[in-house]
Amino acid sequence: MGVIIGPRVIDAGASYLSVLISPVAVAAGFPSPAQDYFDGRIDLNAHLIKDITSTFVVRVTGDSMEGAGISDGDELIVNRALEPKDGSVVVAVLDGELTVKRLRITPTGVVLQAENPKYPDIRVPALSELTVWGVATRCLHHV
Amino acid sequence: MPKPVLMRQMPQIAHVDVNCFYASAERAFDPSLEGRPLIVLSNNDGCAVTRSPEAKALGIRTGDPWFKLAPRAKEWGLVARSSNYELYGDISARVMELLGRHSAWLEVYSIDEAFLGVKGRPEELLALGRTMKAEVRRNVGVPVCVGIAPTKTLAKLCNKWAKNNASFGGVCHWEAVPAPVKESLLERLPVDEVWGIAGRLTRRLNALGIFTVLDLVRADPVVIRDKFSVVVMRTVLELRGIPCIPMEEERLGRDQLIFSRSFSTPVTTVDGMRQVLSIYGQQASARLAKHGLQAKVLTAFAATSPFRQHEQAYPSVCLSLPMPTADPLLLTKATHALLPHIRNGLKYAKAGLMLTDLRPTGNQSPLEPFENRHEERGIGPLLEDVSRRFGHGSIGLGHGGIKGGVDWSMKRGMQSPRYTTHWDELPLVKAA
Repeated sequence: MGVIIGPRVIDAGASYLSVLISPVAVAAGFPSPAQDYFDGRIDLNAHLIKDITSTFVVRVTGDSMEGAGISDGDELIVNRALEPKDGSVVVAVLDGELTVKRLRITPTGVVLQAENPKYPDIRVPALSELTVWGVATRCLHHV
Repeated sequence: MPKPVLMRQMPQIAHVDVNCFYASAERAFDPSLEGRPLIVLSNNDGCAVTRSPEAKALGIRTGDPWFKLAPRAKEWGLVARSSNYELYGDISARVMELLGRHSAWLEVYSIDEAFLGVKGRPEELLALGRTMKAEVRRNVGVPVCVGIAPTKTLAKLCNKWAKNNASFGGVCHWEAVPAPVKESLLERLPVDEVWGIAGRLTRRLNALGIFTVLDLVRADPVVIRDKFSVVVMRTVLELRGIPCIPMEEERLGRDQLIFSRSFSTPVTTVDGMRQVLSIYGQQASARLAKHGLQAKVLTAFAATSPFRQHEQAYPSVCLSLPMPTADPLLLTKATHALLPHIRNGLKYAKAGLMLTDLRPTGNQSPLEPFENRHEERGIGPLLEDVSRRFGHGSIGLGHGGIKGGVDWSMKRGMQSPRYTTHWDELPLVKAA
């Protein structure tokens, strides 16, 4: 069969990335009765995606988030349904572009911070004037 | 103090559809398109099939050929996109899954609209409508409007009002609209705004003095049946609040074939679902062949019955076929991509297929039989692997292996990335 593109979210599914693990820590000497039960293989989709309808994967271009461990070319798992909070890594709309920044909500105002001293902070008049596209929950960093 | 009365709680139907679906799906990933006139073009970049409100304001109409619009695009700031059916299919599946969480039954009516069975007092249903609207916008990123009414025809009408009258805030419930407002709205709507009334039928109704929706509501259903058909009579009854359009199991729309069935007894095993999907694949194939069409993108979905158990599931997959096809074997095999998402033991009440990116059979690539014949030698999977790694069009058989496409291939010069189905086409976010 030709090109069958996997399930609607890019599939990090069972067939490629599954690992059979024991669900409990293995202590030497005392076999645990719980070890008889395996829940099946680790399912990265189940682990990384809380809501399939609101989760998207995006690719980072640029080095302004290096300090947060997010490098050029990394993929971010972004959940659109999460409420952005102080400290969230968000994908925000700036000048018509999707941009990744650290969100700071302080008594003195809302700031979008880069995690790299080369880039200045961006002050936002109010949270209501900022379009947050989604909140990053994981970084798939290329090592 | 008045005695509490039993509130009338007839089951109602909610009609939910995405505003300017294709254009909205494009905008969800490209904020620079916000506020600009945007159109999405048909296959081969032929003509406008979806227009953003800004494009409508320019006077662009559905069906306007691109070659006529292109010379003025720059002056207008008009952006055109080739249709990106994989993206639309995935966005559609997300919307439908989200809506399915709110309803006992969901009928996917087209790629961008669905009917849902709902129950509750008017204020509860209005609140439900607003919740669904907000959720779809937040989770998936596309705007929807909601119409709620006792019948499908009225629900569609309410949706139209919700879209066109800002005062409704995108959600309109028939029972919550005061009678005089209803009457004046119905009087202002031409009769062909009613679901199922168009073309020649409109002219024949006009000849009988039926010009507005209100005229049609007031027409005698029996006379209508005698002069026209049972179908038109049903429309009149539906407009009067009597539900008589049943769940449709099969529908060929402008650019999609939908095929879905509810089971008389639930399917509870992967094997059972395999059989069902195989039958659907073959039936869908026959249906395509009958209309001289082939499909390039297939969505397969299933749903559990919300009445029967606590655990619910609405699995779906959207996939791109290797070539446009109506071949029963290829389609059947493709439907089986849903099987890994089916769990033994859950009671599935429904399954279906949606075929999009339809095109006439004549447009097929000359390589189709060639590729098929070599499938069993492993060439197909090899090509697939290479394409997946190096991008679509990086390898192909014979003349197919020319990057950028050759002249007989589908023209899609302005297609946006397939953001949600291909690793090498993910949306880019700037870290700068």
